[in-house]
Amino acid sequence: MLAMNKSKILGITVIAIVATVIISSCKDKRSTGWEYAPNMYEHIAYDPDQKNDNFKDGKTAQLPPAGTTPLGFVRFDYPNTKDGYEKAGLEVKTTLPQTQANYADGKLLFEHFCSPCHGVTGQGDGLVVAHGYPPPPSYSKGNSSRGGAMKDLTDGKIYHTITYGLNAMGSYASQLEPKERWKVIMYVHHLQTL
Amino acid sequence: MRSFSLIFKQFSRSVLLIACFAFVGTYAYAQGDAVKGEALFKAKCTACHKLDQQVVGPALGKLITDETDDKFLTKWIQNNQALIAAKNPKAVTVFNQFNQANMTVFADLTDGDVANILTYVRTEWKKMSATPAPGTGPAVVVDKGPSKIIILSLLGVIVLAFIVILVLNRVITTLERLLAKNNVTILEEEAVAGESVDRLAFLKKLAKNKKFVFFVLLCGTIFLGVYTFIGLWTTNLHQGYQPVQPIKFPHDLHAGAMKIDCQYCHSGAYKSKNATIPSLNVCMNCHKVISSAFGSKTASVEIHKIYDALGFDPATQKYDTTKAHPVQWIRIHNLPDLAYFNHSQHVKVGKIKCQTCHGPVQEMKEVYQYSPLTMKWCIQCHKRTNVDFKDNAYYANLQQVHDLLKDGKQVTASLMGGIECGKCHY
Repeated sequence: MLAMNKSKILGITVIAIVATVIISSCKDKRSTGWEYAPNMYEHIAYDPDQKNDNFKDGKTAQLPPAGTTPLGFVRFDYPNTKDGYEKAGLEVKTTLPQTQANYADGKLLFEHFCSPCHGVTGQGDGLVVAHGYPPPPSYSKGNSSRGGAMKDLTDGKIYHTITYGLNAMGSYASQLEPKERWKVIMYVHHLQTL
Repeated sequence: MRSFSLIFKQFSRSVLLIACFAFVGTYAYAQGDAVKGEALFKAKCTACHKLDQQVVGPALGKLITDETDDKFLTKWIQNNQALIAAKNPKAVTVFNQFNQANMTVFADLTDGDVANILTYVRTEWKKMSATPAPGTGPAVVVDKGPSKIIILSLLGVIVLAFIVILVLNRVITTLERLLAKNNVTILEEEAVAGESVDRLAFLKKLAKNKKFVFFVLLCGTIFLGVYTFIGLWTTNLHQGYQPVQPIKFPHDLHAGAMKIDCQYCHSGAYKSKNATIPSLNVCMNCHKVISSAFGSKTASVEIHKIYDALGFDPATQKYDTTKAHPVQWIRIHNLPDLAYFNHSQHVKVGKIKCQTCHGPVQEMKEVYQYSPLTMKWCIQCHKRTNVDFKDNAYYANLQQVHDLLKDGKQVTASLMGGIECGKCHY
């Protein structure tokens, strides 16, 4: 009887240990788990990317009312047409100090935002293009679809293209603020000479 | 006899081989133009055109096959802008038909080059329209097809199994009836009753064993204790949280294989408190053109979720904002309101790599929370990380104060940021 009990006791010990390990290790990765004071995590104030029933479209992030300009917003009043492009090419010039620091910033921004398609050297041979994306023309050797060589593109024309996009390239106005666009253009001018 | 057949076999083989080569040779010769045209097409045209689908420019397959005036096509391809400027009626109608979008001038293409391209486009389009090709966007439709068949066949199997079970049940009942007739069942029932009485008695005996009861209680206490401890320890800890997102965005493909920088999409990380979830226009920077990836059905379905959310029609490349609805991403990294965290402070000033806190996102197919984001974790890093003062504008003021003190000069409160608005008006 005692021998039998011993084996049972051993068995139960093993079961208890295994159960502890299993329960403590199994965690549902789809759930955040227990939360104490969850109102600190799901706060009452609205985040910009949160659902909001106070607005008709259910979004917290709303567009500014029509006809208004937000504080600090730099306007670019050239329409997304060929005429607007040509006009910007003649009238818009950079006001950014041509310093080494700005150039370095422009290089970094170019590598992060443009090089996936345009390539690190601006030859239109980025990694995304290598995977089959339609290649953009080379800055130094290619021709623009709006006429003229890519290496002759002026400040205003490049700024217009970054702001509105062209052909397979989208608009980068939401990702690059005006100052950053000018920094990128500084670096693109360097790539045009390669 | 046998050797003769062998010789014949060898002979026939070589003849067949030669015939094959000859055929392939003539075939290649006939397609010579098209092969050259394909290379040119891929170099010059694919930036804006596909054969079966409108991308930046119109779908060319049908258009060029239907247009028989090769002279006009050649002139158009070589210099469309000159044609439009000369008010060629056909050129002007085409120009207006496609929203007055300019096409690149290809003055470097000779008449022969253009002819090659045209041959390529026409032969390729013939091939494409002859085979029921998986064209513009049937991936979504195709996806639904096989699943229905599978479900139906599964249902059939279940029904069949059910019928088999019913039949077997019938057989068992009839057999039991037969057994009952032979009075075998009574004996069996008695045996079963005896066993159950035995079991209960054994349990009662165990309950009276003090050592055993103590042991069970001890195990229970340890188990509950460990459970409570772990439960409390992981409360408010979201590490490893990996929710299912509305669109299965693969970071391993975008940030890993394509090496697109984190900042491309999370452009707020360098200049604001939030790293920002990209709005769909950022997706469309590329996915305006890429509607499927590597022929994968799931990729196509997921990309079409972007189109649906924007009300975008890939066939016409037009947006219908009335059909648009936001994509509701599920937040993974969530600090409670009692903690303030600023991304730009860490990324721009501290020059910390994204992966230090977010883990190897470029290898994650599905993103999860890599770090615990607990206070202990923050403090540990803040205690161990040395501040990089060199060329760091953020600490210029601190350096200035330090130099003044070293020279034995006085420092005013304003120099220490004492007149910043937020110091009083928070």
